[in-house]
Amino acid sequence: MAEEEDEAGFDEDLDDGAGGADGNHGKRKRLFSKELRCMMYGFGDDQNPYTESVDILEDLVIEFVTEMTHKAMSIGRQGRVQVEDIVFLIRKDPRKFARVKDLLTMNEELKRARKAFDEANYGS
Amino acid sequence: MADPARIKTESNSENSLAARESPKTEDTEEVPVTSDADTESKDSSSQSLKREHKQDSVAGDDEDEGTSDQPASKKLKVEPEKKKEKRQKVDEDEIQKMQVLVSSFSEEQLNRYEMYRRSAFPKAAIKRLIQSITGSSVSQNVVIAMSGISKVFAGEIVEEALDVCEKWGDTPPLQPKHMREAVRRLKSREQIPNTKHKNILFH
Repeated sequence: MAEEEDEAGFDEDLDDGAGGADGNHGKRKRLFSKELRCMMYGFGDDQNPYTESVDILEDLVIEFVTEMTHKAMSIGRQGRVQVEDIVFLIRKDPRKFARVKDLLTMNEELKRARKAFDEANYGS
Repeated sequence: MADPARIKTESNSENSLAARESPKTEDTEEVPVTSDADTESKDSSSQSLKREHKQDSVAGDDEDEGTSDQPASKKLKVEPEKKKEKRQKVDEDEIQKMQVLVSSFSEEQLNRYEMYRRSAFPKAAIKRLIQSITGSSVSQNVVIAMSGISKVFAGEIVEEALDVCEKWGDTPPLQPKHMREAVRRLKSREQIPNTKHKNILFH
């Protein structure tokens, strides 16, 4: 825990994701304040959510990303994070699994469409 | 082999391109965020959202003819043809139902729906966060996947917190106590990953 306190001091540019949601993140800048506010409104909260709630949610999201990253690093190819690892970790949660599949499929389609579009432009 | 009919419509606007490529489910507006941002400045937001929905149903029809020419269809041909047709029909029904629903939204509901679809975590920040943990670079797909499930995760917490808020007889905006109770409930359902506590078997 002492390491966290030291790093939080001069850590303003680096985003150190270590630490739990109940830890005091002190001087670390808020990464997702604006986006989380819009997101909370979209999910059903008030148009102006409380700042404390947004902070709690940001800490939770950062902890989630950190946990997933650590887990993904420990399976598959060690020390690296790959898409297959994330999909494997998510397999039991139907919502997240479906969402990841959709996003990756859509990304592939968009890349293909953009490529075809560029080639058509280049040809003509 | 590019289909000239498709190319012509694609050159009209980025918006139609983005709309065409989101056929299967309606939650797939997040990836073409940049193209959405272009149209945002031109149209009023609610109208552009409605137009995207209309073009989704149009894209649904064209997709039937287009996929047979595209090389990507090799992946889809593994499924039996009947299953694919049924799936597309179900998707088209769903798209139509969504259209009817969205067209009957009030102004406030439209605002909220737009925020729901368009809000996303910044890819740069997520990428920086992951790379600071792994120490090595990660591919773009990883960032896309991670920001996508993070949004779903945030949604689960907010929805649970709204349930708690209603149950306790409070009103939105959500307070930290609602959020913490929501986290406690999700933890008991194991929907929040926690590797800090190891279960020691046969203590």
